[in-house]
Amino acid sequence: MSPTSYWHGPGTAAESVAQLRAVLAAARPGWPGRAVYALTSLPLGAAYLGLFAGLVASAVAVVYGVGVVLVLLLLGATRGVAGMERRLARHLLGVDVPDAQRVRDQRGVVRRVRRLVLGADTWRAVGWLGARVLLAAGTLATLLFGGAAVVALGWEVDWNAVTALPLLALVAAVAGGTLAVVDLHVRLAARVAARLLGAAPEQRIAELQQSTRRLADRNRLARDLHDTIGHALTASLLQATAARRTLTPAGDRPLQPDFARQALGHIETNTRTALAELDRVLSVLRTDEEAAAGGSFAAPSLADLEGLLAGLRDGGLPVALVLDGLADDGADDVPPALQELVYRVVQEGTTNVLRHAGCPLTVVQVVHSGGVLLARVCNERASQLDSRPGPGGGRGLAGLRERTAAAGGTLTAEPTPTGGFELCVTLPVTAAA
Amino acid sequence: MTGTPLRLVLVDDDVLVRSGLRVILEGEADLTVVGDAGTGREALEVAARSDPDVVLMDVRMPDMDGIAATAELVARDPQRPRVLVLTTFEDDDYLFRSLQAGASGFALKRSDPDELVDAIRVVARGTSLVLPDLTRRLIASHVPGRTRGAAALPDLTAREADVLRLVAGGLSNAEIAARLHLSRETVKTHVSGVLLKLGARDRTQAVIAAYESGFMAL
Repeated sequence: MSPTSYWHGPGTAAESVAQLRAVLAAARPGWPGRAVYALTSLPLGAAYLGLFAGLVASAVAVVYGVGVVLVLLLLGATRGVAGMERRLARHLLGVDVPDAQRVRDQRGVVRRVRRLVLGADTWRAVGWLGARVLLAAGTLATLLFGGAAVVALGWEVDWNAVTALPLLALVAAVAGGTLAVVDLHVRLAARVAARLLGAAPEQRIAELQQSTRRLADRNRLARDLHDTIGHALTASLLQATAARRTLTPAGDRPLQPDFARQALGHIETNTRTALAELDRVLSVLRTDEEAAAGGSFAAPSLADLEGLLAGLRDGGLPVALVLDGLADDGADDVPPALQELVYRVVQEGTTNVLRHAGCPLTVVQVVHSGGVLLARVCNERASQLDSRPGPGGGRGLAGLRERTAAAGGTLTAEPTPTGGFELCVTLPVTAAA
Repeated sequence: MTGTPLRLVLVDDDVLVRSGLRVILEGEADLTVVGDAGTGREALEVAARSDPDVVLMDVRMPDMDGIAATAELVARDPQRPRVLVLTTFEDDDYLFRSLQAGASGFALKRSDPDELVDAIRVVARGTSLVLPDLTRRLIASHVPGRTRGAAALPDLTAREADVLRLVAGGLSNAEIAARLHLSRETVKTHVSGVLLKLGARDRTQAVIAAYESGFMAL
């Protein structure tokens, strides 16, 4: 083998770095990593001591009004340093600590400041730096004591042929003991790091809650799409297929232009409602995108009722909305969950009118009175020739009945004496609902 | 196929779906729609009254859904009528439950009219699975994983086991006959034997049993 195979030259510096990295990576959780950590802890401990002094000084300065900004700056610096400490702990100690949520991810100065000052992880970071200072002091003391002992043994004691061997053993023992105590400090640091630098329980819970909420939102959106657009498209498709057949001469099959004309009318209405719903879902998705990490699709509220009915009016349904006992600014005293439920009831009721009765005169009424929220969708006698009274409600009605019952309310759906149909839901309104 | 047309009952809570289907199916010489219903409960009445060969059943309906109505129909008479479930989406969780309840197969509402008509004929004849690939995938993905073990099934002969494996693979009687070098009549006899031993009323139920017992594994 030629010597060149050992010497790669400057052209392969990247390779050398990679090799060095591999060596370091292999050594990471082992003693070299801990030794480096112990050594860095001395200057870092001194620096953190300075940071603490600064915090105390600026806390005192708060009394004079100028310290607030300083405190915020130092807390911010503490979080920054904690980030570096996490990397150190990961690389040198092999402790698995996830990155913290960044204050920068919050929107608005006020929220950021709140997050900075009130966030548990900020104070855990402060606690961690304190622990680092103490550990550094301990390490320093141990090194000084051990060093002093070795020096004393080396210079103050009489070394001769008889004492040399036991003294040498003693020096080795002292040195070994010193290093063991330093190592103990580092191991202790690794334990504490997992506690103070790791994800806070409240952070983990918040993340879990957020992902659960997203999943629920997504399921609700999927269900909505299934029940509204999927359904409308299916009905339209079958009507269109049937219409085409009735207009296509084949064998002894009679042409039925009347059916075709009617089918086209249904397709028109269905498609319009479906588009209105698609519009709503897309706008919800867009708002969600704009809200970035906001986390949830906005559920429709009572304020969205007017928009819903406007879409139906465009579809040819003469429908009026009567609101009573609700605040003008969107009924903020009615919990959002109930607002959404009422929206769904109105949506289901009016869609069923279109589906089963054509375009009769329809009234939607929402009343909030005496702790009870009442919503009613009532239509006049069917205007459509081939229509029949609704079969006690559409497919969404069973689900709505369940949700109403869960909210402690009741839902009724029945024909009116005058040949129309009425869907009515009453819900108790409590602040906690 | 006999000269008398197949008698159908349409069950869907949407009038528009029903009226569309009626026009499409009435256009076929060998099919006749003898009744329709908007709820599961209504479907039971109509079926009792009009003696259909096949019930086209929507799944999600108010006042008794398609699953419960299917189970009730099967409990009344395991042979007639057969139930073809109509669904909007193929990944519907309710779909497998309706097969489990005793439906003979399913078809997508959006499918081509010819495919739909074909599915009805296949269900009535019972000589093949409807939508074999989809059905197999649906059953396989919903049956909880079992370890493979043919012993879990009642004593099928080696031939019957071969036939069941091919039935579960979605092959029709004609295809099985070609694969095993048997006559169609012989295959038909074997399939009947398998259904009898498994206590299954049709191929779909036999496939579910094959997966549930671990005879078929993923």
